[in-house]
Amino acid sequence: MVSQHGIKLAVYLVSSFYGDHNSKVCECLLRRGTLTLAQIIRFTELSREIVRHCLLALIHQNCVQAFSIQQEGAFGEAPKVVTHYMALFDNIIHHMRFPKFIAIVKDELGGECEKVFEALLQHGRLSFNQIVDREKQTVSKEENFDVDHVKESFNKLVNGRFVERCPAPEPFLAPPSDEETPAKKRGAKSTKVGDVSESIEQRALAAAAPMESLRFLAETLNWSDFSDKSSEEKFTSVKTGEKRKQDFLETDGGLLDQDEKKEVLWRVNFEELIRRLRHQACIANAKSRLNDECGIILGAILELTRSSESKVNIGSTASVSINDIYDEVIKKKGGLGMNLERIRASLVELGCEMPMLVEEYSIDLKSIIDMAQNEEVESIVLKRYGREAYRMFRFLSKSGRLHETDKIADTTFVEKKDAIKILYKLWKDDYLQMEKVTVNGARQTHFLLWKVNRQSLCQHVLDEMYHAALNLRLRIAHELDQEKEILQMPKDKVGEVEELRKRYMRLKKVSIIYESSLMNLDDALMLFHDF
Amino acid sequence: MSRSMNASSLKRKRPESSSANGSLVDADRAVFNVIKSKEDMGIWTRDIKFETKLADTVVNKSLKSLLSKKLIKEIVNIKNKGRKHYMAAEFEPSKEVTGGAWYVDGNLDKELIGVLKGLCLKIINSKKVATVEGVYDFLTKSKVTTFDCTNQQIAEVLNSMVLDNEVIEVKSTGLGEYHSIPIGTVCYRIAKGAGLGESLKIGAMASIPCGMCPRISQCTPDGVISPSTCVYYQKWMNF
Repeated sequence: MVSQHGIKLAVYLVSSFYGDHNSKVCECLLRRGTLTLAQIIRFTELSREIVRHCLLALIHQNCVQAFSIQQEGAFGEAPKVVTHYMALFDNIIHHMRFPKFIAIVKDELGGECEKVFEALLQHGRLSFNQIVDREKQTVSKEENFDVDHVKESFNKLVNGRFVERCPAPEPFLAPPSDEETPAKKRGAKSTKVGDVSESIEQRALAAAAPMESLRFLAETLNWSDFSDKSSEEKFTSVKTGEKRKQDFLETDGGLLDQDEKKEVLWRVNFEELIRRLRHQACIANAKSRLNDECGIILGAILELTRSSESKVNIGSTASVSINDIYDEVIKKKGGLGMNLERIRASLVELGCEMPMLVEEYSIDLKSIIDMAQNEEVESIVLKRYGREAYRMFRFLSKSGRLHETDKIADTTFVEKKDAIKILYKLWKDDYLQMEKVTVNGARQTHFLLWKVNRQSLCQHVLDEMYHAALNLRLRIAHELDQEKEILQMPKDKVGEVEELRKRYMRLKKVSIIYESSLMNLDDALMLFHDF
Repeated sequence: MSRSMNASSLKRKRPESSSANGSLVDADRAVFNVIKSKEDMGIWTRDIKFETKLADTVVNKSLKSLLSKKLIKEIVNIKNKGRKHYMAAEFEPSKEVTGGAWYVDGNLDKELIGVLKGLCLKIINSKKVATVEGVYDFLTKSKVTTFDCTNQQIAEVLNSMVLDNEVIEVKSTGLGEYHSIPIGTVCYRIAKGAGLGESLKIGAMASIPCGMCPRISQCTPDGVISPSTCVYYQKWMNF
């Protein structure tokens, strides 16, 4: 369930990148959930043509996923296959962090790969031939264009898992009663009525995803873009076969040109990039909370175990032997002088228990992420509500259970009359939960109990962060709008007048501060949503 | 009954009230008994009136009389500092009434807490890592304080410092700096950056005006409170 300000931020991003019509369609899908073409047209009040174009563009930019399901016909009509569209909220928000993704690729693979990667980010989906054509256009006439260089860069990106095959554009989901094989059941989490729509979307994503064996296979570039799995689903579960498939592509909102399916399309693999950013965040946390050595050792372990991670937000790394850790550590900058004893001491600081039999270690990444989240929230409480509120909040957060007002005041050395006011303020702003208890004795006595509910708190803080990110973007736009005259002037003219030059320098400084704050805030967004 | 008869009946009782403790007038005795029954918890004036069912003026007079005879004393109840509470003279107010060792006259003794925190910080800084007992022993042996404090009080102060992120709570590994501390014992060390004048690391959200803003829930793009009209952003960019 996406928060209100998450939706607003996503809509703003789509508007900035792709225009108002696309943002209107996106907003409709984000607020109302998965819809058909007819429903989108009705809710957005845009023409059929505009909505179709928007959906095509959004699918191409990986912001929307289409899928088709069989719906029962009304009043004795035959069942028909209808295309539905779902917004991909995460992929939309990823647009904010394109510069970070580019930096990762540039650092690891160099400038040539960066160019190919940037093209994929800009265009959403490209075939290999389209990438080559695009590179050809950027090369000047004097330079010799070498397609092998492009192929080499492309292969590096695929092998590094930064680029993947695109998912199937419109997989067909058979009705749940027809599903027999375990592979098909994988996407369905629940058969309860209330969970049906969620499981349909998860099933759609699972059905669209290419098989793991093909996902990063760059050699066979001329294969069909439909994976074996999705093809199998289409041809075995749809009883009427090819003809029905063509019907829904043409009539029920199916938008894809048949020609597009001939070439394999590739896109940026956001999952791998988020994984890298998660690792970076864990290493940075270890460095700042503990020391540089712990950061180096954690980096080494993450390097060794990255390829075995089945999903982004794993709880713990795979186990690694002390010797493998040592071999990796000494390769890293600052790691050459380390010995096994120092590595062991750092591993203990990172929370590892001393192993009993085989000397292998695994890092609890979830606890690092949890600690980083706690630091972020406590920092907000300190700044917004003050030092005493900070102490009381930390007491309740560490305890994880209900405590009475006086107990909180006594433990945190806060005056009782101040404690109740601060706790009430935190409760009003949804940072605490409160319960009233009445004790019937000689007299009725009322007690107030307070608690930090971590799950709802994190959702609330995430929503505030989306709100703040949107505010920063709007503020940047406002500042630029205020000084648009200066921005439109030639630079030499601006330099001539002292007042204009000052305003221009101020605008430059302000933009840098806003942009860097936005990038930092985005790290916090990922901490609460993606990691 | 006429007022004069009432006056004379009261007059008859008056000689008894002027005698020793054992011969209090009925009203005084009733009030005293109620107060004494509350032992070290004390009782509020209104509750005395409720329990004795006596008129306000009678109760007030009795209280004045009992105070003058030093049979009762007035105390401050930490939970209701504005209300007058009374206790029998032979009792000491309980922790619930005074607020505990950290309260003086119903107020938190911030000076005492501050002094102890400073001492604990210095001790842990010099020892690198210390247990509650270690800090307590150092304080009592060095006699740096002019007052007595208990092991429990030191534990409460250290706990508060953990909550302030000035020290961190760790468990001894028995190795290195922990060699003199049994494995698994809770001990304390200075938090990174603390005690050196460095402030706590500020989070990304707290670094921007929205993170500190008490009105964020009312802020909308086109509202009265909005990012484009925000005074906090204005101040942030005033350089």
